[in-house]
Amino acid sequence: MASSAATRAAASTAKVVKPILSRDLDEAKRRVRELYRAWYREVPNTVSLFQLDITTRQGRDKVKEMFDKNKHVTDPRVIDMLVIKGKMELQETINVWKQKTHVMRYFHETEEPRPTDFLSKFYRGHDP
Amino acid sequence: MLARRMPWGAVERQIAPRLTYSTAAAQPQVKPKKTKFGPLSDQDRIFTNLYGRHDWRLKGSLKRGDWYKTKEIILKGSDWILNEVKISGLRGRGGAGFPTGMKWSFMNKPSDGRPKYLVVNADEEPWVSRAAYIYIRGEFYNESSNLQVAINEAYKAGLIGKNACGSGYDFDVFVARGAGAYICGEETALIESLEGKQGKPRLKPPFPADIGVFGCPTTVANVETVAVAPQICRRGGAWFASFGRERNSGTKLFNISGHVNTPCTVEEEMSIPLRELIERHAGGVRGGWDNLLGVIPGGSSTPIIPRHVCDEVLMDFDDLVRAETALGTAAVIVMDKSTDVIRAIARLVEFYKHESCGQCTPCREGVDWMDKMMWRFVRGEAAVSEIDMIWELSKQIEGHTICALGDGAAWPVQGLIRHFRPIMESRIAQYNKKNPAREPEIEMI
Amino acid sequence: MLRLPTVGRALAGAAKSSLAASSTVRTPVRAASNMVEVFVDGKPVEVEPGTTVLQACEKAGIQIPRFCYHERLSVAGNCRMCLVEIEKAPKPVAACAMPVMKGWNILTNSEKTRKAREGVMEFLLANHPLDCPICDQGGECDLQDQSMQFGSDRSRFSEGKRAVEDKNIGPLIKTIMTRCIQCTRCVRFASEIAGVEDLGTTGRGNNLQIGTYVEKMFMSELSGNVIDVCPVGALTSKPYAFTARPWETRKTESIDVLDAVGSNILVSTRGGEVMRVMPRLNEDVNEEWISDKTRFAYDGLKRQRLTVPMVKDDSGQLTVTTWEDALTRVAGALQSVQGSEVAAIAGGMADAEALVSLKDLLNRLNSESLCTEELFPMSGAGSDLRSNYLLNSRIAGIEESDLLLLVGTNPRYEAPLFNARIRKSWLHNELRVAMVGHNVDLSYTYDHLGEETAVLKELANGTHPFCQVLSAAKRPVVVVGSSALQRDDGAGILSAVSAIAQNARTSSGVEEGWKVLNVLHRVASQVAALDLGYKAGVDAIRNNPPKVLFLLGADAGCITRADLPKDSLIIYQGHHGDAGAPMADIILPSAAYTEKNATYVNTEGRSQHTRVAVTPPGMAREDWKIIRAVSELAGVALPYDSVEEVRSRLAEVSPNLVRYDDVEEANYFKQANELAQAVNQDLLAAPLVPPQLTAKDFYMTDSISRASQTMAKCVKAVTEGAAAVDEPSVC
Repeated sequence: MASSAATRAAASTAKVVKPILSRDLDEAKRRVRELYRAWYREVPNTVSLFQLDITTRQGRDKVKEMFDKNKHVTDPRVIDMLVIKGKMELQETINVWKQKTHVMRYFHETEEPRPTDFLSKFYRGHDP
Repeated sequence: MLARRMPWGAVERQIAPRLTYSTAAAQPQVKPKKTKFGPLSDQDRIFTNLYGRHDWRLKGSLKRGDWYKTKEIILKGSDWILNEVKISGLRGRGGAGFPTGMKWSFMNKPSDGRPKYLVVNADEEPWVSRAAYIYIRGEFYNESSNLQVAINEAYKAGLIGKNACGSGYDFDVFVARGAGAYICGEETALIESLEGKQGKPRLKPPFPADIGVFGCPTTVANVETVAVAPQICRRGGAWFASFGRERNSGTKLFNISGHVNTPCTVEEEMSIPLRELIERHAGGVRGGWDNLLGVIPGGSSTPIIPRHVCDEVLMDFDDLVRAETALGTAAVIVMDKSTDVIRAIARLVEFYKHESCGQCTPCREGVDWMDKMMWRFVRGEAAVSEIDMIWELSKQIEGHTICALGDGAAWPVQGLIRHFRPIMESRIAQYNKKNPAREPEIEMI
Repeated sequence: MLRLPTVGRALAGAAKSSLAASSTVRTPVRAASNMVEVFVDGKPVEVEPGTTVLQACEKAGIQIPRFCYHERLSVAGNCRMCLVEIEKAPKPVAACAMPVMKGWNILTNSEKTRKAREGVMEFLLANHPLDCPICDQGGECDLQDQSMQFGSDRSRFSEGKRAVEDKNIGPLIKTIMTRCIQCTRCVRFASEIAGVEDLGTTGRGNNLQIGTYVEKMFMSELSGNVIDVCPVGALTSKPYAFTARPWETRKTESIDVLDAVGSNILVSTRGGEVMRVMPRLNEDVNEEWISDKTRFAYDGLKRQRLTVPMVKDDSGQLTVTTWEDALTRVAGALQSVQGSEVAAIAGGMADAEALVSLKDLLNRLNSESLCTEELFPMSGAGSDLRSNYLLNSRIAGIEESDLLLLVGTNPRYEAPLFNARIRKSWLHNELRVAMVGHNVDLSYTYDHLGEETAVLKELANGTHPFCQVLSAAKRPVVVVGSSALQRDDGAGILSAVSAIAQNARTSSGVEEGWKVLNVLHRVASQVAALDLGYKAGVDAIRNNPPKVLFLLGADAGCITRADLPKDSLIIYQGHHGDAGAPMADIILPSAAYTEKNATYVNTEGRSQHTRVAVTPPGMAREDWKIIRAVSELAGVALPYDSVEEVRSRLAEVSPNLVRYDDVEEANYFKQANELAQAVNQDLLAAPLVPPQLTAKDFYMTDSISRASQTMAKCVKAVTEGAAAVDEPSVC
């Protein structure tokens, strides 16, 4: 409903949106860079603190990958939200509110494909 | 100390026919209402050798008229006998007072091939040396051996056995000795005991008249009931009915024990006043009538009655029920004022606790509970409110069990509370005075 | 014949159910009169004459509280919990024992009734310990439930409570006799259903105790049922003690497979573990009882299990491997052989799904060598006619029969529930039982005709004196034990029994539908295997040793390494490391009966299925899936991927296998008999002695019960006395 109202508003007048943090895209990009740098610096600490079985390089690659995953986003408000979430993650990591397994989840596929043929199902478990 | 007279336990077995006493129809006679009962004249006595002073053997009993015309009576047929018993108004002498004529008529059904049994319940003293087939308390060794001798003599004389008395009926008599359990006086428990099992009452229905001993139709009759039956047949039901008040007819054996000068068993007319019975036959209460505290009129299971009731009450079924007690087996227990009546009742409850068969929950658990409470009442170590509680407990037992033993345990307690509650309360007060409740050493907040 | 303990009580009991035939007194009354109308709380109900008050109330939909009353036991009427008021009656009556009279108004919730119940409940609780928190009956206790519903909210009992010494009555039943409320259900169960007079009451009044008098084991194959029968926690399960609470367990309806009866069971599980097994009502099979093996062998499911695939390495040691490896090896072995070079043997606990998959697999490899461990004579009609190998009369059918001839069997231990049914019929319906075979204690009396096979011959040709009794029978039943058919002269025995049955049938003039010839099997898989076309017995394999032998839970040890060529490969698929696994080269771990949804057909031909109560341990898989996986790797993939598809394949082969809870009737008795007569095998002189003679032979008969510690304790207790397995009591 809200969106349809916004559409109607946009149709009538110039598009006015209330910013979250950044007033324009450049400011949003700046925030992203800041966050990236913070993560980049934190990776070695994280690897040693959580005694992760990865190298710093792998960690930084993962950070890059995660940022790249959202590079198509251009709406400053969305970018701001993603930055806020990224900061939360970072804070949890720095303060060791996470555990090793939580950190390593960045490296897992979110969902394994379920087997479909009989034999794979058989190998996988009792009743997949 | 328990002068109980629950004659339970003689067994009479008839192989082919059923019970065969009978009578011709007697004319109903109108006679002026009787107001005075007892004493019984000697010629009307049925139990002629009650004290065993005469020859108890067959020869002696024949001389006293037993077995006279038995054959003729039997030949008159069962309907005649039943009718005569009905006219006599005889009520079972075992305690419940069920009309005997009606009970015996339940057996008078066409035979389905099973033998029919008469079980004679003589758990008590066998006064009569001519009763038939007798289940007798194991403790009564002399009595049972005398009984066996009597049976042997009767067999030899052809009075029982094949073609008994020449009547054409086969009639066998066996003696079974019980092991002395009070509950084996209950008819179905007696049957179980006869069958060689634990003496525990059976569920009714089916009644013994349908399925009794060894699965066959059976009548369980008190020995006294059976003992008077021949005389009724010989002298007529109307003769028997002429004694006592209406619906309480006949003569009855009274056993008077306790605080009397001459305890005795005596045959008397029904409806004789209690006071006359005690004073005439038992030599009066020890220390005079005024020294009387109370009387248990019908054996241990009946409620006690205090002196003021004893003054007036007649010894028969209906009048004692009016006085909230029962005739039971007419074993009169007299207590004078030296008696600790709470202790006396507690002892009775203990007896019932010991004799409960343990089948039914209310009797098994309730009587034990009452026993524990009663002994506390004896010491006074109880609350006054517990008097009401034990009354309620006794009501929870009464009428909720298979047999009447639970009732028998509940009634003495009820009698005690009904008439002697002040004594119980003062005992409690006394105890509390002697053992004041301890003050808590620390103040409880 | 006076078989009932107390005639009066029995009649009171008989009046309530279908046992009316034994009632000699009431029958004419019943025949003469019609339905009686009574009122329950004013609501009219029509009941048969002789119905008890309690049953009339039940018919009106009102449950009367009870402790001593039990539908399948005689009426004791001693707990007095069921007291109800009858309008205009002076005293409340015991509803369980009192037959209704015309026009009675039964008041089930009147003041008087409620007072009576509350009073009885108070007395029951007076001496009952307050140990519900540590009592195993807690949560499923009649006393607990009924005291909540009918009892008072406080206690007035301030005296000391009674304590009773516990008794050691064996390794199965734990007694806490202080909790006993003297309902005598267990005593009546023992003497009426189990047929052992081990339990009784001693003492009187408040000292009344239930026990064995002299401390001994409660020696019955049905003893565990007293745990269910006991309304309080006085008799509880020893192995189950303090392990779980009823409200935290999940209950799965299933089927027992430790004998061929197929008792219906309820498997209680918690956290993937079987906590206990309880009976489930099925009037046609096990009523509400189960045997001790069924109930207590479940701890065998947790021991000696095969949980990972294993293969024999070069040194001859079985080593753990992956499914991929094991299956590839099996498939490779199967591909390398031709036709009858591969054979399979199915054991006693194989389910129909596995059986049909294995058959399909081997058929695709051009082999027909599929056998069962149990023997069944294949000459004559063999297993071609279904009537030949079923318990055609059915278990419940025994109740309608008047003469039963047992041949070479000991049903008490081979099929305890069938034996309980025979005893029930013997007790209430005057069933006469005769036996050719070893003189064993069956818990009822029977005419022992001898154990020689010659007796069979005489019976068959009509020269035996007992033939007169047989021919006089109205509804005769002949049951031959499968153990008798294991002998070398099995075909001859079956032929003789068949002739006896056919003669008895002719002379009885019984209607067409009545079945006379019956086979009593001992293992759960046999009927389904024969239905599916397995050959009975391993003779074919012994005569023609295969290169690859597939054992499907075959643990009876019919075939040993010595019977096979040196280089042959043995594959064992099963759930227990018992007799079969040690000689195998490849072990494929599979699921036991509590871990799979599988079809079994009992000795009557009744198809039933188990349900998954727990997941199989470790890497074990359901049997048919393993075979299906093998087939794919061997290049002959079976066309089913789900259990439904397997069942539709079962239906193709034999439709009765998936008609659950239905008994497919067999026929062609006459033809079967004619074919049997064509068998001309001489009977051996050896006497007919079934392998299970006494109780100690009963407990450990298959891979599950052999792995069970409880069952081992039972054997020890039976041989050395209950004291030998006495354990210090925890509470």
